[in-house]
Amino acid sequence: MEFCQLPQISIEKEKAMPPFAGVATGGLGHALKRQEPAIVTLNVGGQVFQTTSQTLAAAGVSSILSSPPPFIDRDPDLFADLLALLRTGRLPSSAADISDLLAEAEFYGLDPHLLRSSVSSSSYFSPLSLRRSLLLPLPGRDPVSVLSATPSGELLAAHGSKITSFDFSLRHRKTLLTSLPAVDSLLSLPDCSLAVAGASDFPGLQVLDLASGSLRKTLHWYPHVSSPGATVQAVGIASDRQLLFTSYESGRRNASAILAFDLGAGSEFRSVYEIGRREIYGAELDSAIPATKLKWVPSFNLLMAGGSHSGPSGVVGNIRLWDARTGSDPVWDLQEKDDCFADVTVSDELSAIFKVGVNSGDVFMADLRKLKVGEPWTVLGGGMWSAEIGWEKKGGRGCTIESQGKQVFCTRGGDVEMWSEVAMTVAPDHEQKVMRRNLMGRAKDMGGARILQLVFGGKRMAVARNGERSVEVWESSDRC
Amino acid sequence: MADNSSTLQAPGEVGEQRIKLNVGGKQFETAASTLQIGGNESLLAALSARYATAEDDDHEPIFIDRDPEIFSILLSLLRCGRLHSSARHRFTNQDLAEEALYYGIESHVRYALSPPPLIGIDATLVSTLVPSAEAYPTSIYAGFDDGSLWIAHGGGQISSYDWNLTHSGTVRTHLDEITSLRRVWSGVAAIGSMETPGLHFYDVSSGRHVRSINWSDPSDPRVYKARVTAIAAAESRIGSDGTGRPIFAAFECPHRENCILSIDRTTLQIISEIGRQPGSAVKTSAPRKLVDLTDVGGGVVFALNVNAGSFGYCGYMRLWDPRTGKAVWEMSEPGGGARSYRFGDAFSEADVDVEEMAIYKVCWRSGDLAVADMRKLGEDPWVYLEERSAALRSCGGGQNSIVRCYKGQVFVSRVGGLEVWSYAEEDMVEEHGVERRNKILRRNFVDREDDARRGLIRCMEVGGERLFLSRDGVEGVEVWESSNLAGAISLV
Repeated sequence: MEFCQLPQISIEKEKAMPPFAGVATGGLGHALKRQEPAIVTLNVGGQVFQTTSQTLAAAGVSSILSSPPPFIDRDPDLFADLLALLRTGRLPSSAADISDLLAEAEFYGLDPHLLRSSVSSSSYFSPLSLRRSLLLPLPGRDPVSVLSATPSGELLAAHGSKITSFDFSLRHRKTLLTSLPAVDSLLSLPDCSLAVAGASDFPGLQVLDLASGSLRKTLHWYPHVSSPGATVQAVGIASDRQLLFTSYESGRRNASAILAFDLGAGSEFRSVYEIGRREIYGAELDSAIPATKLKWVPSFNLLMAGGSHSGPSGVVGNIRLWDARTGSDPVWDLQEKDDCFADVTVSDELSAIFKVGVNSGDVFMADLRKLKVGEPWTVLGGGMWSAEIGWEKKGGRGCTIESQGKQVFCTRGGDVEMWSEVAMTVAPDHEQKVMRRNLMGRAKDMGGARILQLVFGGKRMAVARNGERSVEVWESSDRC
Repeated sequence: MADNSSTLQAPGEVGEQRIKLNVGGKQFETAASTLQIGGNESLLAALSARYATAEDDDHEPIFIDRDPEIFSILLSLLRCGRLHSSARHRFTNQDLAEEALYYGIESHVRYALSPPPLIGIDATLVSTLVPSAEAYPTSIYAGFDDGSLWIAHGGGQISSYDWNLTHSGTVRTHLDEITSLRRVWSGVAAIGSMETPGLHFYDVSSGRHVRSINWSDPSDPRVYKARVTAIAAAESRIGSDGTGRPIFAAFECPHRENCILSIDRTTLQIISEIGRQPGSAVKTSAPRKLVDLTDVGGGVVFALNVNAGSFGYCGYMRLWDPRTGKAVWEMSEPGGGARSYRFGDAFSEADVDVEEMAIYKVCWRSGDLAVADMRKLGEDPWVYLEERSAALRSCGGGQNSIVRCYKGQVFVSRVGGLEVWSYAEEDMVEEHGVERRNKILRRNFVDREDDARRGLIRCMEVGGERLFLSRDGVEGVEVWESSNLAGAISLV
């Protein structure tokens, strides 16, 4: 199905091992040894299949294939596809529709990860071969507002007060209703059936059970005992630490804080600590700008929080890095005054913070390892390419920026540009790294409504566009 | 591969050992010799060898835990040397290739799936390969031996396609526009750009930068690095080995001083500098095209440059001897030894047919093709090919034409159209007591009128029995192949 060079090799090594191992490691003797007990005969719907117990073991211990009955009354063609998946680690290109295979895999109790990774594994994610491939319509009339994706490729899209979830094959969807007037923050939790949703004009962060469509819990923050609940400005997750970060702003808009909730089993979303609590005293309005972007940097153990607002002196904001253990003062605090960010993100792989300047529209980079030395920002470049005028400078208002792997994606209006790192060997022991830009998509993919958000999950990139009642999906494809 | 005829031996000869296989629950029986066709390295040959040494009373089939249907196709490929046409409907070429890799008979499948020899007068557009982003090609490279393809396209990206034309990856280089692209080793490309200085080597499978080579004019106090205008890297052809031969790259400084560097293919170090020129006139400017003839053409490098100005084209062709660093033959137009009636009709493009040792050039005004025998180069070696067919006599000039020689055929692009000159045989003639068959070059169009309307042909490369071309302002690369299928169109 999917073919890209590197993941292919890794799949060959990992998954193709069982059938091949018997021949390669055990010498040819294994394959030649006569009908030894390792060979398993199955009769599926009247068709006889023979395979090894090694191959069937890949189905997982809970599968009925680990100790198969002599006769299975199911469709043999679908079974042949699943057996090919067990043998080679990938589905044949002539395989049946994924939704049929899913139902069949469920019957056999196949390890769900197996089919999922063959369809939407993130090892197939190849940013330079992404192309616009699918449009997922959303029910109703509300345009999409915010997206979220899981590493295995499930998608969540909020539109109005509803949340539609798509399974990893993007064949099935389910819509649930929340009590929020309009969802502005959305995040799927590692436990795939849960998601959190918040609104910037409605108090509380709601934990929703996607499977049943019910509200599990609402997480509130009260700046003071008597004050009303605070609204949610942003959510972020630290999967490795089992923490959920939520940026709250008080209803009167005079206080803000980031709360960390424990996602661990049995902790029932207990609030662990509060960081960066700010309150406005007097006329210093800029002192309590709530964070509108939260990103966790696992290898540095830092939380990046960025927030900005438009004031009389233009857009001002701040970017702070918080150490999760000592939450009282930020590790790094940058006031953004001249060319404040329109959007900011952090890349763990590239160890850098990236922003788009709201005035210049340029993309800037700040190395996380050299933050305290002088001016942190390095300009990478900006402007927009158009065939008629060439490079054209525009402001960065409305631009968003996201990082995935070693790439940084920046949206400009309806287009996406991608910055990738190219390592140049200047001397045998010295590498020089440069960031290079590409515009994504073919000529027919250019333009379109302004992009609100990009999310990455599995091998896909999902795009939410302003006013669209659908989610656009980009996938890396194998052929041309 | 070549000895496929041996597969046609009578099955079940006396004394021929038969082998039983059980592939995924389906029984197969075949002759040991059939499995050995796969080659000594293949899993099947190893199994049959092992089976032969087993005891005679052993009649249990060998069990292989793979899909039986696809195995039956591969087995029939070994039996009769060709793929059954039904196989192509049920499985993709990629499926067959990957399964063949498991059995170790990939070369057989590759041979069976490769296109037939490219014949210009019988070639059709089979597909268009479009990279996923910024898909306007700036340079293309066609694998000489296997029909694979590298496309350098917008924003310094290189997309690679394997022998099956399956996309195998895209990498980003630090250049913003790649204008020269050649293969150095199997996975390493040499690239150059008219915008950014230097010759750079990249691993196209991993995207890793291997090395850069820069040149600047040592006599110039400003140290401006030179850009690369052309690269030549000889391919391994039959009877010669390209792997040990140097790469040649033409460098041009911003003040137009230029030279050709010869670079060692293994160490990627500069060996020598040849053809240093001041670039003050068209005759001494940097070449736009280099062809390595060091093993066939008497050890020379062919260099060519043309300029289009308001009075037509002017340019030069030169043969450099890399050992002495001197030009052994040169010709420049207008002027030179061209016949007077050809005056004002300078060449706009040329290419060397390495096997036939001939240079073909296209005249910009008349569009005529002329050929020069490299063994008899002199003051005016050109023989102008005459077009006898009235319908083809005025096909337009040679502006923006591209010439590519491939296996005795000369492909010439004319704006959007594509024509081929191929040899047709004439009656036997007797010359100095030796009977010899005369051959004449005939011109034909490869494409149809509507193909030509898609746009000006920008790049054209031929290799591995495939012709690749890209057009101005059109995304992707067209793939042209010959086919023995009739392609009948159903009218019901």
